Amino acid sequence: MSAPHKPQIAKADAGARHLRRAAAEFPAAFAGLSQVDRRDLLKVMGASLALAGLTGCQHDPAPEARPYVRTPDGIVLGKSRSYATAVTFGGYAQPVLGTTHEGRPTKLEGLPEHPASRGATDAFTQAALLGLYDPSRSKGPARFGQPTDWGSFESAMTANAARLDGQKGEGFRLLTGAVTSPTVGRLIEEMLRRWPRARWHVFEPVNHDLRLEAARLAFGRELSVRPRLDLAETVVSFDDDLLGPGPFQTSYARDWGVRRAAYQAGQGGSELLTAEPAPSLTGAASQARLIASDAEVDRLVVALAAALGVKGVAAPALPDRQAKWLARAVAALRRVGSAAYVGVGPFHDPAIQALGLRINDRLGALGHAAVVTEPLFKAPPDGAGSLAALLADTHAGRVDTLAILDANPIYAAPRDLDAAGALRRVRLRVHMGLHEDETAAFCHWHAPVEHDLETWGDALAIDGRPSLIQPLVRPFYAVRARSVLLMNLQGDLTADARTLLGETWRDKLGDLQSAAWRTAQERGFIDEPDPAVAVSAASGAVTLPAASASSAGLTVLVRPDPAVWDGALANNPWLQELPRPFTSLTWDNAVAIAPALAKRLGLKTGDVVRLEAGGRVVEGPVWVMAGQDPSTVVLTLGYGRGAAGLGHGVGFDAGPLRTAAQPWRLEGATLTALGRNAALATTQDFTQLGDFDFVRTAPRGDVAPKPAPPPPASFYPPKPESRPQWGMTVDVDLCIGCNACVTACQAENNVPVVGKAQVAKGRHMHWLRVDHYEAGAPEDPVFFNQPVPCMHCEQAPCEMGCPVNAAVHSDDGLNLQVYNRCIGTRTCSSYCPYKVRRFNWFDFTGGDPPELRAARNPEVTVRSRGVMEKCNYCLQRIVAGKIEAQVAGREIGDGEVRTACQQVCPTNAITFGDISDPKSQVTARKAQGRNYALLEEVNTRPRTTYLARIAPEDADG
Amino acid sequence: MAQIFRPSADTWFRVTVVLVLVAVFGGGVFATGLARSSYATRQGWPLDQTVPFSHKHHAGDLGIDCRYCHVDVERGPKAAIPPTYTCMTCHSQVWTGAPMLAPVRDSLANDRPLIWTRVAKLPGYVYFDHQIHIDRGVPCVECHGRMDEMPLAYRAHALEMRFCLGCHRDPAPHLKPPDQVTRMDWSGWDKVPAHRGYGQMAMAKFHIDPAKLTDCGLCHR
Repeated sequence: MSAPHKPQIAKADAGARHLRRAAAEFPAAFAGLSQVDRRDLLKVMGASLALAGLTGCQHDPAPEARPYVRTPDGIVLGKSRSYATAVTFGGYAQPVLGTTHEGRPTKLEGLPEHPASRGATDAFTQAALLGLYDPSRSKGPARFGQPTDWGSFESAMTANAARLDGQKGEGFRLLTGAVTSPTVGRLIEEMLRRWPRARWHVFEPVNHDLRLEAARLAFGRELSVRPRLDLAETVVSFDDDLLGPGPFQTSYARDWGVRRAAYQAGQGGSELLTAEPAPSLTGAASQARLIASDAEVDRLVVALAAALGVKGVAAPALPDRQAKWLARAVAALRRVGSAAYVGVGPFHDPAIQALGLRINDRLGALGHAAVVTEPLFKAPPDGAGSLAALLADTHAGRVDTLAILDANPIYAAPRDLDAAGALRRVRLRVHMGLHEDETAAFCHWHAPVEHDLETWGDALAIDGRPSLIQPLVRPFYAVRARSVLLMNLQGDLTADARTLLGETWRDKLGDLQSAAWRTAQERGFIDEPDPAVAVSAASGAVTLPAASASSAGLTVLVRPDPAVWDGALANNPWLQELPRPFTSLTWDNAVAIAPALAKRLGLKTGDVVRLEAGGRVVEGPVWVMAGQDPSTVVLTLGYGRGAAGLGHGVGFDAGPLRTAAQPWRLEGATLTALGRNAALATTQDFTQLGDFDFVRTAPRGDVAPKPAPPPPASFYPPKPESRPQWGMTVDVDLCIGCNACVTACQAENNVPVVGKAQVAKGRHMHWLRVDHYEAGAPEDPVFFNQPVPCMHCEQAPCEMGCPVNAAVHSDDGLNLQVYNRCIGTRTCSSYCPYKVRRFNWFDFTGGDPPELRAARNPEVTVRSRGVMEKCNYCLQRIVAGKIEAQVAGREIGDGEVRTACQQVCPTNAITFGDISDPKSQVTARKAQGRNYALLEEVNTRPRTTYLARIAPEDADG
Repeated sequence: MAQIFRPSADTWFRVTVVLVLVAVFGGGVFATGLARSSYATRQGWPLDQTVPFSHKHHAGDLGIDCRYCHVDVERGPKAAIPPTYTCMTCHSQVWTGAPMLAPVRDSLANDRPLIWTRVAKLPGYVYFDHQIHIDRGVPCVECHGRMDEMPLAYRAHALEMRFCLGCHRDPAPHLKPPDQVTRMDWSGWDKVPAHRGYGQMAMAKFHIDPAKLTDCGLCHR
C-alpha cells in the first residue's frame, strides 16, 4: 500500500514547490488565493455557470423618452457642441474647449486658438471634468457641518457686514488661493476700499513666491520670467522641471515640441541639459542629465555664472563629472547666443534663482528666449509672508472674522504656523470652496462654490491673456460663484456672477449685449499681447547664500505631486489611478531614495521607513528611484488628506516635516527602517531596458525613407486594399511622458477606474499606457517614455484566439473588439504580445452614482463585467468624421479625424491618419528612417509604429 | 446477492433519458422561439402613450412631413422626439381645449417634459445614425414601416441585427431618391422601368461598398 503513495507525495511536493515559486514571482496573483479550497471553487463555478445564461435576459419593456419642452438653440440631438471656456489650476486659467452632449460637459480639450494651449492640455485639465461631477463635492451651504440654507447664510453675512461697516472692516481678513482673475481681484480691491482696515491674504501651497523674490533681487522689482522654449535652442535646467507637471506644462511642452520638431527636420538646434537631484520629465528628455544634490546644483549655477562672465561671481571648484557637464553646457549656450535659456528650479534659494536670471541677461536671452512680464498674480500686501502674517495676527487675537476662499490652510499650511490653533481664536470663520475639506471642518460656515465648468468668471492664462470662463451647464447643486460670495460677504445679496464679470470688462468690451463681448466669449479669451517688460539685471554685487554646512544627514526635498498636485485634486479618481511618471505608482506616494542609499540601508521598494528632520517625523513606504542623488530623499505633497472623498487616507502626508521657513528643503534628515512593508500598486513591474529594443535611438539625420524590406511570409489572409487605412505613429523623441494622453483616453472612452487593490492585481483598465524604461546602470540611467496603445496589428494574434469572433478586423485596418459578442475567455489577451487588452473582472461601472454616469461619453459603450476592451483608435471619432465627409460628398481629409491622445498631446508626438494616402502626415512620419515597429520580430505588422529617439550628438561630451 | 435494480429500472432509465433529451431540445426550441417572438421583440405591439398621438392622423390623413416634427433626422444621429413646443405650434391654434391634449399643455405651462414610451429603441451598444441613412436615401418606411397607417405607433420590424444586415448586405433594393425619403408608399416604384436600376446607380454614385457595410465597428463601438 505504501509503495504507490510515494511518487504522489513527491509530485505534490513538486507542485507545491512550483506554486511557491510562482507565488514568489507573482505575489499579487496569489494573494488571497490559498483560502479557497477546491470544493468552494467548484460550487462558485457551478453557480456562476448556472447564472451566466441569465445575464442575457435583460429586457426593458417600456424605455422612456423625455424630449425637451423647448429645444435650446442650436442643439441637434445626439451631436456634441463645444464652447470655449477655461478651468483654473494653481490660479492660472487653462483655456479649454468644453464638449457637451445634450448640455452635459463630457470632455475638455485645449483651446486651439489660444497661444498658451494650441489645442493641448495636461492631465490635470483633462481630469478637471471629473471634478465637476465629483460625488463628494459639497451640495449646499453648511453651518457647523450641518446642512443649512442660503437664507441663513445670507442673514448671518448681512449682520456681520453691517457690524464691519461700523468699524471700517477692523478685524476682517480674507484668505484666498492665488488669484489671477481680474473680476475677483477687482471685487477684493473694492471690498478693501469699503473696509479699509480689513486685510487680504493669499495662500497657495505650490506658489511662485521664491521666483518673484528672485526677480526682485535681480531686477529690483517683482517680475515674471517665462521661457520661450520654441526659440531656445539650448536650454540648461538646474532642477527646473520645465516640462514637468504644473500650470506651465502644456504651454512649455508645446513650445519645446515645436523646437524639437524643427530640430528633427534639420532646422536649428534643440539641446536640453539638466542637473537635478531626482529624475524629472525635463531630465528624462535631456541630452545630458547630471545627477547632483540640491547644494551641488546651487554650486553649478554659480559655476555657470562664473564661466559665462557674470560679474561678482567666483568659480567654485567642481568634481570632474560636474565640470565636464558644465563645460558642455557652456559650449552649448555659447553656440546659440541669445537663443538660450537657463532655468533654476522654483524651490531653490532666491539668490541662486536671481543668479540664473543674471545668466539669462548675460546671454541676451531676456526679451528673446525668455519673456519678462509684470507678475500675473494679484499680489496681497504681505507678499510671500502673507499666510504667516495672517496666522500671527490671528494668534495675537487681532482677527475677528476670517473668510477663506479656495484655500485649505489646515491641511496645507506648514505645521509650525499652527493654523488650527490660530483659526480657533477667530470669532466668525467662513469657508468657501468646492469641498467640505479639513479647513471647512474648522469653520462656522461652509459656502460651496461653483466648479469652473458651471460658473461665470475670468482668469489669466500663463501668458497673461485673460480667459473668459462661461458655464457649460447650470450648477447641479445649491452653489454660488466666487464673485457672488465675495459680494455676499459684504451683505450684497443681489449680485449676479455674469453682471459682475461684465462690469470688469465693460471698459474694454462694452456691455454684455455688445458684439465685442459676444466675440470674446465665443473665442474664450481676450487676445491682449503680452505686456512684455524690457529689463536688465541690476549691476549690483551678487550676494550668494552662505553655503550650508555640509551636514551628515540626508536632504529632503518636498515637491508637488505629478498626479494630485498639492492635494486639492486628491479626490479625483482619474488622477489617483494615473500611473506616476518613472514609478507607475498609483493611489499612493512614497519616500523616493536612491539605489545606493537603499543598498546601504538594506531597503527595498515598499519598506516602510521613518523619516526624521529637525525633530519632525513622517512615515511612509520607500521607493527606490533610479537616477536619484544618493544624499537626497524626495517626498510629494497632496496625500494623507483628512477629508477629501476618495483621497481620504490615501498615502501619507509629507506636511508634518515642512516648516514655514523651509517648506521645500530640509537638511540633516535621517531614515530608519521600521521593518514593515506596505503594498504599493504599480502598473509596470519591469523597467530595465537592458538588451531589449522596445525603445530605440537613431542618429538625427536618419530622416531619409528606408527601403521597406519585403514582408516575411505569413499564413494570414491578405488585407483589402481599400481606402482609408488607419495608422498611427508615436514619436518617442517628442514624448515627454506627461500622461495627458492617458487621461484624455480615459475621458474619451469611458475607461473605468478600478482602485488600488485591482491595480495591484494588474487589472488596471487604461487603454493607453505610458511605459517607462531605464537604460544603463540604475544609479545613472537614461530614461525613456513610450506610450503604448493598441498596435492594430495587420496580422493580429488576438483575432486568431477569439472563439466567438469578437476580435475582428475592419476593412479600414482597425482591430476591433465587439463587446456584445465577447464572452470573456481572455484568450485574445493571452495571445496579445503587447498586452494592451483590458478585461473587466468586475462590473466597474454599474455601481457608479448618477453624477458620474453623467460624465460619460455617450458615443462610447459603457462596458460591463466579463468583457474584454481595448483601444480602437477612437472609433467614434472616425465614424463621426466619415459620416461628415460622406454627407458633404468628399473624401475624409488628412488630420480631420484626431484621436483623443493625439489631440491632447502637448508635443505633437502622436500622429494619426490614413496610411494609404501618400500625402498624409502619418505616411510621411512612417517613411522616416526612425520608424520602427514594437516587437517587429513577431511579424504582427502593427499599424501603430514608433519613431526612435534621436541620439544626443557628442554624447560623450 | 440481492438485486439492486428492479426489472422496470431499465424502462425508467430509457424514459428519463428520452425525457431529458426532449426537455433540453424543447427548452431550446422554446427559448429560441420566445426570443424571436413578437412578445420579445415588441414587433407589431402598439404601445400606450401619455398622449395617444396618432401618426395615422398627422402623417397619413393630414400629410404632415415626418421632418416637420423630427427635425434632427437629417442633421444628426437621432431623429429626436419633438419637443412640446413643436406640438403647440399647431395645438395653440387647433384643438386648444381638447382634454386629450391636457398633458401637452401642462408640459409647456410647467416646463416639464412629456414622457413618451420609446417604440424603436436600439440596445445601448448599437450606434445607429439617421443622418447618413437619410442622406443616402433609405426611406423612413424601410425601418419604421407604414407610420402613416398607425393610430398608435408600434415596431414594424423587430429591429434585430439580422434586419440591419439584410439591408447592409444588399443595399440596392432599399435605396430610393434622397429627396423622397419621407414617402411612405413605394408600391408603384418598381413598376416604372426607369426606376429599376436606381439602387445600383445610387450605390455607384455614393461609392457604397457592401463589403465595408458589414464591418462590426460601423455600428458597435
